Amino acid sequence: MTGAAWPLLVHLAVAIGLAAGMMAVSHLLGERHRERATGEPYESGIVGTGELRGRLSINFYVVGLLFVIFDLEAAFLFAWAIVAVEAGWAGYAGMLVFLVLLGVGLVYEWRQGALDWGRTRRAIERALAARESSRRPVTLAGVPFERGTPVGTKGRR
Amino acid sequence: MTETARALWSLGGIVLAVLSLAAGLIWVERRLLAVWQERYGPNRVGPLGLGQVLADTVKLLFKEDWIPPFADRPVFVLAPTIVMITVLTSFAVVPVAPGIGVVDLNVGVLFVLAMSSLGAYSVVLAGWSSNSKYSLLGGLRAASQMISYEVFMGLALMGVVVLAGSFDLRRIVEAQRDGWFCGPQLLGLVAFLVAGLAETHRLPFDLPEAESELVAGFHSEYSGMKFGMFFVGEYLGVILISALTTTLFFGGWLGPWLPPVVWLLLKTFVLIAFFVLCRATLPRPRFDQLTGYAWKWLLPLTLVNLAVTGAIRLALEGP
Amino acid sequence: MTSPGSSPADAPSIPHERPEILGQLERRFGDELGAGFRVQATVDGVPTVWVPAGDAERVLHHLKLEVERPYPMLFDLTAIDERLRGHRRDQPASDFTVVYQLLSFDRNEDLRVKVALAGDAPSLPSVTSLWSCADWYEREAFDMFGVRFEGHPHLQRILMPPTWKGHPLRKDHPARATEMEPFRQSEARQEAEQEALRFRPEDWGMKRGDDDHDFLFLNLGPQHPGTHGVLRLALQLDGEEIVDVVPDIGYHHRGAEKMAERQSWHTFIPYTDRVDYLGGVTNNLPYLLAVERLAGIEVPPRARMIRVMLVELFRLASHLVWFGTFVQDVGMLSPVFYMFVDRERIFDIVEAVCGARMHPGWFRIGGVAQDLPRGWDDLVGDFLDYLPRRLDDYERMILPNRIFRDRTVGIGAYTREEAIDWGVTGPGLRACGFGWDFRKERPYSGYDELDFDVPIAEGGDCYARAEVRLEEMRQSLRIVRQCVDGMPSGETKADHPLATPPRKPRTMEDIETLIHHFLSVSWGPVIPPGESAATIEATKGANGYYLVSDGETRPYRARIRTPSFPHMQMVPWISRGHLVPDLLAVLGSIDFVLADIDR
Repeated sequence: MTGAAWPLLVHLAVAIGLAAGMMAVSHLLGERHRERATGEPYESGIVGTGELRGRLSINFYVVGLLFVIFDLEAAFLFAWAIVAVEAGWAGYAGMLVFLVLLGVGLVYEWRQGALDWGRTRRAIERALAARESSRRPVTLAGVPFERGTPVGTKGRR
Repeated sequence: MTETARALWSLGGIVLAVLSLAAGLIWVERRLLAVWQERYGPNRVGPLGLGQVLADTVKLLFKEDWIPPFADRPVFVLAPTIVMITVLTSFAVVPVAPGIGVVDLNVGVLFVLAMSSLGAYSVVLAGWSSNSKYSLLGGLRAASQMISYEVFMGLALMGVVVLAGSFDLRRIVEAQRDGWFCGPQLLGLVAFLVAGLAETHRLPFDLPEAESELVAGFHSEYSGMKFGMFFVGEYLGVILISALTTTLFFGGWLGPWLPPVVWLLLKTFVLIAFFVLCRATLPRPRFDQLTGYAWKWLLPLTLVNLAVTGAIRLALEGP
Repeated sequence: MTSPGSSPADAPSIPHERPEILGQLERRFGDELGAGFRVQATVDGVPTVWVPAGDAERVLHHLKLEVERPYPMLFDLTAIDERLRGHRRDQPASDFTVVYQLLSFDRNEDLRVKVALAGDAPSLPSVTSLWSCADWYEREAFDMFGVRFEGHPHLQRILMPPTWKGHPLRKDHPARATEMEPFRQSEARQEAEQEALRFRPEDWGMKRGDDDHDFLFLNLGPQHPGTHGVLRLALQLDGEEIVDVVPDIGYHHRGAEKMAERQSWHTFIPYTDRVDYLGGVTNNLPYLLAVERLAGIEVPPRARMIRVMLVELFRLASHLVWFGTFVQDVGMLSPVFYMFVDRERIFDIVEAVCGARMHPGWFRIGGVAQDLPRGWDDLVGDFLDYLPRRLDDYERMILPNRIFRDRTVGIGAYTREEAIDWGVTGPGLRACGFGWDFRKERPYSGYDELDFDVPIAEGGDCYARAEVRLEEMRQSLRIVRQCVDGMPSGETKADHPLATPPRKPRTMEDIETLIHHFLSVSWGPVIPPGESAATIEATKGANGYYLVSDGETRPYRARIRTPSFPHMQMVPWISRGHLVPDLLAVLGSIDFVLADIDR
């Protein structure tokens, strides 16, 4: 029974009304105060440094792009899913070709490292290199390392 | 009873029930967590601590309704309402029982998915409009997490759609008379539950607000009922995902002996308890790992699931 | 009481055979430095040499890298304000003495290198190019004594607020609020203090951005749920990638070392409890070992074993809190509740024995406060039956968890070499495969009579640190079991005139013992002059007390070397290149307590 859609609109109106009502009531009932640091953003109790609206890390854009690509393609699959039986094997074959293309794209992204949050590995390597350069001279000659009982590496990969 | 009256009665009943459930979940979740963590949980206000729900609501109402001077005012105010409105509206298409339900959309599944996409804005905008560093980081995390999981959330459901041949949730339930979809669509179920956890950003996927890292993440600057609305929105989301999972995979209201409504509620409660149990047991992945799981495991998994489901359906019934 | 210079104990003799290093140094530097090179006798037998300020760096370089069987670890670096000290026989004239304490694993021996400095603005070359961990130690000595270390990259205050006037551990700095102007926090002052705390990247050689990035600077703490206390980390972020970290400590500083200078030897004991506030009586032990060595007190066997038992129980309590909060930092909410339940059971025992729970302050000079209560063995026995199963549960619950492993394996890793360079001790050192444990290497308080293993793991990452601590809990249970089974009978306090509080029974018999008792209780014991250091394997690593007595009822100088201080200093080194969540995992895994860092 696919009836009229107007109850949906009523439902939406009720939801909006409820949200607005809750906001209004709390606005009326809530206390007010103003102190020295009330108007400062939270940063663990310390005044902040630097710009907030700087350029963001590229990784966020990569995820955004991935989303645009794959979510659009998913929308085509939705259309197939609803008529899967009617479209028959021919439709299935078409869908499969599309799916394979999608899969190839995914594998490509994967191998490009786009799914690995970009530079994390490189950042660690860079940090390790920086460690090397600031290392202090040390000689471990004679340090008696052979002692202790290994706990075993039970859970480790 | 006319069609109109029935729709209105359903509407009132569902909204009221869902809101009281969401409020009650505060108590349910805290008591359940307590059971699993060797402690009591709230047990002081009223019998069994049930008054805690009321006490929390009253407290939130009387908290300062603070809009930071450095925030983007209109967006800051709107953000928390978005999640509540979208999730609440999604309930309109959930069939509760034969004859009970606000509306039966022939694109019900798509409607829910669309609403959930809109809901993501809530968190992202909250983080962005707060103009505070922790909020921004939380908002960014939320954005990358939600869009990663949204891609396959829809795909996870397409197996069900193929089996039922409809986007209409009521017809999907009817199609499960001969057997629930949780069996044939096990992979879809797992993927959908994981996506559901991620979309409601609850532990283990609570990265946008990860307390030990970002203090409160996207809602760091929120107070009073505006904070409360994120809270309510989260619980509404838990109920919605549980109710949807029941509808799509566990036969909705279907079941012997008991009235249909009771069946739906029972199944939904079990799933809600599962959500709470997840929170009690699992650690939190890092967000690059989280997006990694989504793209590397769950997306291919749902694609394979869809292909296999389609093939089997065609082979069994013929074109 | 005693006038300076008159005590017969003024010239302590070296109790052991002359350490080899003194001869080696004499041969190498004796002629070259002439009168500038001097050997000092100490009560604790730690070889101690004086070298001129200009040559200190060269001597230390020799000791770290060239001498046969070298001293690779800078265990501690501190200073002494000598201007009011009376008993300084054998020592060159000095207003401020900088003390380097080195550790040789090969010799299993410490070496104290002292540098005499004159005048009100003392200075000497920095050794930060020799040891990474010298950085914070030198900053602390500058902050507390105003000693300038030339060539130090960031010689600025570390424990006191940046706006502080004066150097607190100087003898002319007031020790209590009543000696200072009344404190008032005006609006303007609050503003100025806040502004002084603002992070300036340029001061640390950081750029605000480059062609490809704009960096985000974020204050993580002091008011933050993930830092386990008032710790501040200023982060330089690219997205959530950590480019650099600057820890800012001192928010928990309470001047424990300064307080020691105005408390009697006895009344300082409760203050030590609060240094590593998860360690309870563990903190009493190194302090008392040092005091007892100065006083020449032999602790009776029963008291020694009671001490060991309580210390191991507190080690369990501390490790449980650590484990729970660590896994909570990586998002696992429940285990901390289970572990706090277990910890309550430990506190039940501690309360039955000591009457207090977290900070019993229950050890005494010469022994412990009381004998064990009736039924203690059943109480401890029940706990020993209870905990092992729980530990097995935790191991199954946490270590194999896939997400937990993803979050901890390979995160915050360091090598043995780096650990030694940064002064890492305790489980953190053993997690990178070096099973150095002071309980085994330099048995104190009767550990040599007890049977236990020193667990080690490979990798030096967060996961390895968890593995080691979990196994350490099992070993602690083993030790406690042996204490229950083999508790000797006998006295719980040494029969020695300096043991405090003194015994009462004979006081009512003759006036001499009455007066002695009265003085010892009201003023406290007079500990003979001299210097003594003691180090123990505390819950978080090596905890050492270095005490200077000037023959008074209170320490002239009490240096507290805590494990958390160097461990925290290493955090930037092991977190760069990781993401913000990794930093929290690292913080959780190194097991620090803010009071243990800031004292």
